[in-house]
Amino acid sequence: MKNPLIRKSTRLLIISLLFLAVIISALFTYQRTKAKGTDDCLVCHEDKDLVMEVNGKKISLFVNGKEFKKSMHGAIECTDCHQNYKAEEFPHNPKKQEIDCKACHDNVKSEPGNVHNNVKCYSCHSAHNVKSAKELSKNQTDNCLGCHKSKNVQSFKTSIHDKKNVKCSDCHQGGHSVKKITKSESMNSCGKCHAKDQKDFSNSVHQVVLRQGNSKAPTCIDCHGSHKVNSSKIDIESQGCLKCHLDEKMFPGDGKGSTKFISEYKTSIHSIIQKNGKQAAGCTDCHGNHMIQQNDPSRPSTTKSKIFETCGKCHGDLVEKFKGSMHGQEMLKGNDKAPTCATCHGEHNIKSVSLSDEFSKINQVDLCLKCHQEQKLPHKNYKGEDVLISNYKDSYHYIALKNGKNAATCSDCHGSHEMKKVDDPDAKINRKNIPKTCGQSGCHTKQLNDFTGSIHETSLTQKNSPDAPNCSSCHGNHQIAKKDDVNNRIASSKGLVQLCSDCHNSVEMTQKYNIPTGRTDSYLNSFHGLAVRGGSKVAANCESCHGYHNIRPSSDSLSTISKKNLPETCGKCHPGAEQTLFNTKIHITDSLSESPMLYWITRIYIILIVLTIGGMALHNILDLIKKGKKKNKQNENNGEDGK
Amino acid sequence: MKTTEKMENKHEKKYLRMTLNERIQHFLLLSSFITLVITGFALKYPEAVWVIWFRKLFGENTFELRGIVHRIAAVVMVADSLYHIFYVIFSGRGRKLIIDLWFTKKDLTDVIGTMKYYIGKSDTKPKYARFSYIEKSEYWALVWGTVVMTVTGVFLWFNNFFLPIISSFGMEISTAIHFYEAILASLSIVVWHFYFVIYNPDVYPLNRTFITGYMTREEMEHEHPLELEEIDKMEEEMKSETEEESIKKDAKSVSAEPESKTTEEKKI
Repeated sequence: MKNPLIRKSTRLLIISLLFLAVIISALFTYQRTKAKGTDDCLVCHEDKDLVMEVNGKKISLFVNGKEFKKSMHGAIECTDCHQNYKAEEFPHNPKKQEIDCKACHDNVKSEPGNVHNNVKCYSCHSAHNVKSAKELSKNQTDNCLGCHKSKNVQSFKTSIHDKKNVKCSDCHQGGHSVKKITKSESMNSCGKCHAKDQKDFSNSVHQVVLRQGNSKAPTCIDCHGSHKVNSSKIDIESQGCLKCHLDEKMFPGDGKGSTKFISEYKTSIHSIIQKNGKQAAGCTDCHGNHMIQQNDPSRPSTTKSKIFETCGKCHGDLVEKFKGSMHGQEMLKGNDKAPTCATCHGEHNIKSVSLSDEFSKINQVDLCLKCHQEQKLPHKNYKGEDVLISNYKDSYHYIALKNGKNAATCSDCHGSHEMKKVDDPDAKINRKNIPKTCGQSGCHTKQLNDFTGSIHETSLTQKNSPDAPNCSSCHGNHQIAKKDDVNNRIASSKGLVQLCSDCHNSVEMTQKYNIPTGRTDSYLNSFHGLAVRGGSKVAANCESCHGYHNIRPSSDSLSTISKKNLPETCGKCHPGAEQTLFNTKIHITDSLSESPMLYWITRIYIILIVLTIGGMALHNILDLIKKGKKKNKQNENNGEDGK
Repeated sequence: MKTTEKMENKHEKKYLRMTLNERIQHFLLLSSFITLVITGFALKYPEAVWVIWFRKLFGENTFELRGIVHRIAAVVMVADSLYHIFYVIFSGRGRKLIIDLWFTKKDLTDVIGTMKYYIGKSDTKPKYARFSYIEKSEYWALVWGTVVMTVTGVFLWFNNFFLPIISSFGMEISTAIHFYEAILASLSIVVWHFYFVIYNPDVYPLNRTFITGYMTREEMEHEHPLELEEIDKMEEEMKSETEEESIKKDAKSVSAEPESKTTEEKKI
C-alpha cells in the first residue's frame, strides 16, 4: 500500500457500502414483513362482498387495498390503527373500538369554535384512502357536500361562487377550525371579498334596522341566499325583497312602506320583468341594491332630489326633457309643490302610458286638473288662469273625448314631459308654435297646411309680430268650441266680424301695422254687412271672401281676393260674378278718390234731398202760418158779424 | 174730369174725386209703399229700436222674411204702376188725369201767387184747378221715383243676372241710388203728402177722400176752387138743357164707373 491515506479511505468506503447494504436489506426485510401483515388482512378484506352484521345492519368490511397502499397511510399496518385486533377471532375485536388518530397525530388540535369538533377525522380524510390536507383541498367542495346534503348547501354547486372557484373554506375557514357563520357575521364574511358592497350595505336602512336590534332585518344571505349566492336580479327581488316586504305581518297598514303599497308594484308595467322577463325596473333599479337608504330626504334614490337620476337611468331622454319643463324647473328650484315623475306616474303602480287606461286621454285631464284647478296652485301669470284651465271641460275637445272620440287632451298641446311655459320660445303653446301644435300629425294638419303661407302665419313666424293671430286668437284655447256651437265666437257671422274687427278696426293695430282702415265700416254698411247685422245667416262675412286659414293679401296670386281669383270667390254665392268685371274697389273708404261717380251721385242726392225736403217743409210752414192767420181773422169777422 | 157728382143725402153736396178703381190703385200704392219703406229701412238700420222689435216679433228668420216681404211689395207696386200706365193710356178718365196733371204756365204763376199770398203780399190765394202744382209735383215725383226705384231695385234683386252686365260699379251705384231715392221719396211723402192729407188744419185728422172718393163742397172751395167753378158752370148748363137726364144721373150715382162714362160721353 503505497499511500496509507488512500488505503484508509478505500477501507472506509467499503465499510460504508457494506453498512448501506445492511441497512437497505434490513429495510427491505422490514418492508416485506410489514406488507405481509397488511396483505394478510387484505386476503379477506379485499373481498367486496365481505360484510358484518351489527344489530341487524350489514356493514361492508371491504377495503380497497390498492388505494390504501397508495394513500398516506400506505406504509403502516392495519393493526396500527385497528389496535387490539385478533386475526384469528371473528369479529377481530368484540368491543367497538374507536380509532384514535391522535395517537399518532397528536399535533392536530381542534380550534375552539370548530363546528367539526365532533366530526370524525376519517369523515373528511377518509378511513383507508387517507388523504392529506393538501389533497383534500383539491376536492374540498365535493368532500364537504358529501356530508352536507341539505338542499341549501347543495345549491352551492350551482352558485356563482362555485363557478368562480370559491371554496367552502373561503367563508367557513378550513382545516380544523371550521366555523358556522351567523347572520350578523355574514357581512364581514362576505365583505372580505365584497368590500364595496359591504360598505354600501353598512349605510343602508337594512343595516340601520339591524343595528337597532331588529333581527328580521336582512343581511347578505337573506337576499342572496347563503350557499346559492343569487346574483340574478329577478330571483333576488322575488325571493329576497318581496319575501319580506309582501309579508303583512312585517309591514302592516296601508301607508307608504306597507305591504299594500308595495304590492301595487304587481300591477305596474315594471312588473313585466317578473312576468315575462322583459327588461324593466325591479325593486333594486329604483331603490338601489346594497345601499337601499333611509327615507331621509337627502339620501334615498326615490326622493325628489334624486328621482331624476333614478328614473333617468332608464328613461334618460324623458327626464332630460322634463328637466327643461316648467315642472322640472320648479323641482330643481326646490319647489315642494312641483310634481315629480311619481306625481303623475305613481310610485309602485306605474302604468304604461300607451296601454293603461290611467293615462287614456280622458283620464289625463283629471290627472292634470288634480292640481290645476280651483286655485290649488297659485299661478302668478294672471288671475283667471285656473278658470281658464277648468274651462277645458266645456270645450269640444273634452266633449269629444267623453264621447269616445280622439281629441286633444292636456298633453297634446302642452306636451307631457316637455311642458313649458307659454312665453318660452320652445314651448308647444308658445304663440309662435301653436299652429304647429294644433296642426300636429293626427290633429288639424289640413288647417295647418292652409294656414301656412297666410299673411297671419308669415307675420307670426317670419316677422315675429307679437300681435299676429295664431289658432287660439280666433278659436280660443282651453274652452275651444265646435264650429257650430253657439258659444263659439266664430260660429255666427256677427261674432266673426266682431272677431276680425278686434284687430282690423283697432286704432292701435291699424296704426302699429299700417293696416288699411275703414274696412270694417265699409263692410258693415255694405249690403253684406247690413244683412249680417240684420241677422242673415247666409250673407257674406269676412271669411266668405278672404278665407279663414289661408288669408292672404290681394297682391298674392294665391289669395281668394286677388284680381284673378275674385270672380271665383264671389261666384261661390253669386253665379253671375264669374263673368263680372270687378272695376271698383270692394271696400270703398274714400269714395272721392276710389269711386268719384259714387261720390258725386251721393253728393247730388244729399243736396237734392236737403233742397227738396227743405223747400217742402218751408212751404208747409208758410201754409200753416197763413192758415192760422186766416182762421184768426175769420174768428174776428165772425164775432163782428154775429154770424 | 167732371167729378160732378152731387149727392143730396145731406144738404152738403159731394164731389167724386177718386173712382173706386183709382182708390184701389191708390190703396195698393200706399200699402206697398209703406211696406217698402219699412222693410227697406229695416235693412239699412238693423240696430234701430223698431227693427229690434221686429226681430223679437218674427224670430230668427226676420231678415229673410223682410227680404221676401220687400220683394212682394215691390211686385205689387210695380204691377200697380204698370196697371196705372195701362189705365192712363186706355181709359178716358186716365187720359184726362194725365192731361190735368200736366204742368202748365198757370202752375208757375200759381207758385208765385201762392208765395205772395203766404208772405202777405197778396190777399188772395191763386185758384187751383183740379190739381194744384203741389199735387202735380207729387205725382211726377212719384213717377220718377218709381222708375228709379224699380230699375235699381231690379238690378239689386237679380244681382246674379245683372252683375256681368252692369259690373260691380253698376251695383255699387245702384245700391247708393236705391238708398238715397228711398230717403227722398219717403221724406217727400211724409213731409208734403202727409201734410196736405193729414196735418193740414183744413183736413185734420185725415182727408178721407182716398177712402170715400168724395170731397165736400167746402173742401172743393179750399183746394180746387177753379175746378168747382167749372163744375158749377157746367151743372147750370146741364140743368137748363135736360132736367130729366140729371134726375137719371142722380139715380145712377151709386156707382162711380158708369157715371164717369156718361160724363165722358157728355164732354165729347
